[in-house]
Formats: sequence, structure tokens, C-alpha cells
Amino acid sequence: MARKIVTSLGVLSLILVIAALYMVFEYVPTEADEGIVQRIFYFHVPCAWIAFMAFGLVAVAGIFYLWLGGQIWDDLGHGAAETGMLFCTLMLISGSLWARPMWGTWWTWDSRLTSTFILWLLYGGYLMLRVMIDDSRQVARFAAVIGIVAALDVPVIILSVRLWRTIHPAVLVTRQGGHGLEDPRMVATLLVSLAAITVTFAWLFLVRFAELRMGTRLEALARGIALAEVRTGDI
Amino acid sequence: MAAFTAILRKDLRLELRSGQSTIALVALALLVLVVLVFALDPAVARGPETAAGALWVALVFSGMLGATRVLTAESENGCIRGLLLSPADRAGLYAAKLAAAFIFMMVAEAAGVVMMVLFFNLEFDAAMMRVAPVLALGALGFASLATLLAAITSRARASDLMLPLLAVPMYVPALIAGVRASAAALSGAPFSAARDWIGILIAFDVLFVTAGYLLFEHVIAEE
Repeated sequence: MARKIVTSLGVLSLILVIAALYMVFEYVPTEADEGIVQRIFYFHVPCAWIAFMAFGLVAVAGIFYLWLGGQIWDDLGHGAAETGMLFCTLMLISGSLWARPMWGTWWTWDSRLTSTFILWLLYGGYLMLRVMIDDSRQVARFAAVIGIVAALDVPVIILSVRLWRTIHPAVLVTRQGGHGLEDPRMVATLLVSLAAITVTFAWLFLVRFAELRMGTRLEALARGIALAEVRTGDI
Repeated sequence: MAAFTAILRKDLRLELRSGQSTIALVALALLVLVVLVFALDPAVARGPETAAGALWVALVFSGMLGATRVLTAESENGCIRGLLLSPADRAGLYAAKLAAAFIFMMVAEAAGVVMMVLFFNLEFDAAMMRVAPVLALGALGFASLATLLAAITSRARASDLMLPLLAVPMYVPALIAGVRASAAALSGAPFSAARDWIGILIAFDVLFVTAGYLLFEHVIAEE
């Protein structure tokens, strides 16, 4: 059953990605001001939405872990953090590729770029901590706490970085996409891209989640065997 | 509350007799300032803006050391187990450790401010009084964050590496706000220039002291 869901999500993601690619490269009209580069937008924005959603999921999983216990919540948060990190990285890379022709620079300390980058650093630290602690029960508790604290920090980060950039003179006037979608074909392309990226996220997340669940079950089995051996006096 | 005062008094007495942590913290803050004086071009970087930035870098470094010292002192000889077995609640333990780290940081910061005035050719004037509450807010935020995180990273491999990796990105909002507010205070700008920044600092402190207070029991418990 679970395998069927994962497989069908994979197939659905393939279809949607092909459809989105067709719409981005063939169907949607070229934006007047920015030209061909603006098509990165249809990839960049869904990645951003997914990354934020995934990090929200990490915090929710953390709350449930501390509240109810149960390894499943930890596996959920773990999977969401890893997949979210992937999309956060893709968002930063695609944004950088977009910024180079539009703003003439790979990187600028614009408020959104800065907030995203700090978020990326935060969850990079979260994932690194998971590797650095050996005891799996401890990892789960610590990761839950950090996931919650990090999510609490996000609004403060965004607020402070925005204030920081408005006080400094803006080096570049940013043209934020999303407001200027005059053509209905642009909206349609964005929605299909969003669906494609979301389903791809769900698919990758479920694959990773299933793997983590299996790891948990294996660990429990190994513990059970070790315990049985001790009882029967094999060791 | 009794646990809080007992643990804090113990930490402070230990510190008054050995002086280890505060001396290390003051030395580190001093070194950071010296490094920054060399790293920055003296022709360009001599003013309240750079001085404030340098001071906050020193605060972050000394805070990292302070929080680690306060917690490792307990685990080095297994005292933490005794504390956890005692009826003292975890939140009281957190508050005491936070208070100790905060006091050590403030001592280092006081030394840092004196050094900053000398190194960056500022004056000992009313600006020092204005920058003190900003530094206190920043130190409180960092101590609350780092005490919570140090309890986690002390159980990790490469714990010296993990604490800054987690604490620095989380501290970014307070760092930005603190540097801007300190620069405003040092350059003699009116309070209204720093009001938003001080608001962010207070929000950060409230958020992390509360989060640490509530979550500390989950990170300190031993399996």
C-alpha cells in the first residue's frame, strides 16, 4: 500500500514536471521587462514555498515528538528537514542564477536573500547535529527542541533583516515577482509548476520517510534480538 | 527559586575563588578586539559604527565560551547527575545557569567596552551609559540561547564546533539589532533612532528566555 502511494507519486511528479517544463519553455509568454530569464521564476518561487513549508513541518513534528513521544514524529521531522534543505538550496541557486543577469551580481544582501540564507545555515546546523550525536533517543529530543526554537526564530530573523535593509540604502531595486503576473498564462504556468514541485517534494519526502521508518524498525528488531540472546544465555 | 539561588550562588562563589571563566572570557574579548583592529583598515574604520560591530563580535565569542564553561563545569566531575537527582526543578537549573553565563558575559563586556574606547579612539562619556543596556539585552539573549544549545551540543561529537554552528545563525536578529542600536548609542543619535532595534532585542530575549525555560527539561534529562 505504502509502496503504491510512493510509486504513483513518483509517476505523477514525472508527468507534472514534464508538463511544467513544457509550459515554462513553450507555453508561457516572455515577460516584457526581464526577458527570457524571468522563466526561472516558475521554478524559484515554488521551491521557496516548499522550503518554508518543510521547515514548518520540522517544527510541528518536533512539538508532537515532545508532546506525544514516538519515533515516527522524529522520522517525520528528519525527513522534512532533509527534503526542505534540498529545496532551500535549489531556491538559493536558482535565485543566484536569476540575480546575475537581472541585478548584475550573483549575490546581494537583499532582505529576502539574507533571511533565506540564514534559514539555510540554521537547518544546515540542525542536520549536522543529527549526524554528530550517536544516541538515537537523544538525537530525537535534541532535534525536536532545535526544530521548534529555529521556527520561533524565523519571524524575528525576517523582521530584523527587513528593517536592516530598509535603513541601509537599497543597492538594487528589487523587482519581486508574483505581483506582476498580468497574463493568465503566467498564472497557469506558476500553478502547474507549484503542483509539480509540491508533488516532487511529497514523493522525495515519502521515500526518505519510509527509509527512516525502516531504519527505526530494524533498530528495534536488532535490540529485540540482542535482548533475547542475553535472556537465553547465548552471550 | 531556592534551587535557583543556591546554584547561582555556588557558581558565583566558585568563580570568585578561581576566576577561571571570567579571566578567559575577558582575555578572549580583548583578543577579538585586537584582531579586529588589525583586520580593519585604520584609515577607514575608526568610528562608532566599526566600534559597535567589533564589540558585538567580542560579545558573541565570549558568550559562546561563557555558556560552555558554565555547563561543562557541572558535567566534568559528574555534578550534573547530582543536580538532576535532586528535587530542584530543571527550569530553576536553567535560570541559574543562564544567570551565571549572563553575569560572566557582562564582566567580559565591561572590559570590552573599556578596550573599545581605547582602541577606537572614542571618549568615556554618556554614550557608554547608553550602550550598556543594549549590551545587557544582547548578552541576556545570547546567554539564554547558548545555555539551551550548549546543553545539547555538549552531548555531541565535536561539541566546540556544533555550538557556534547552531547558535550564530539563531542569534542573527539580535546581532543585527544590537549592532545598529549600539552604533546609534555611540554616535549620540536620539533614542528614536534605536527604538525599533531595541524592540527587536527585547522580543528576542523574551522569546528565547521563555523557550529555554520551557524546553530545557527536554535537553538536560539523561536517558
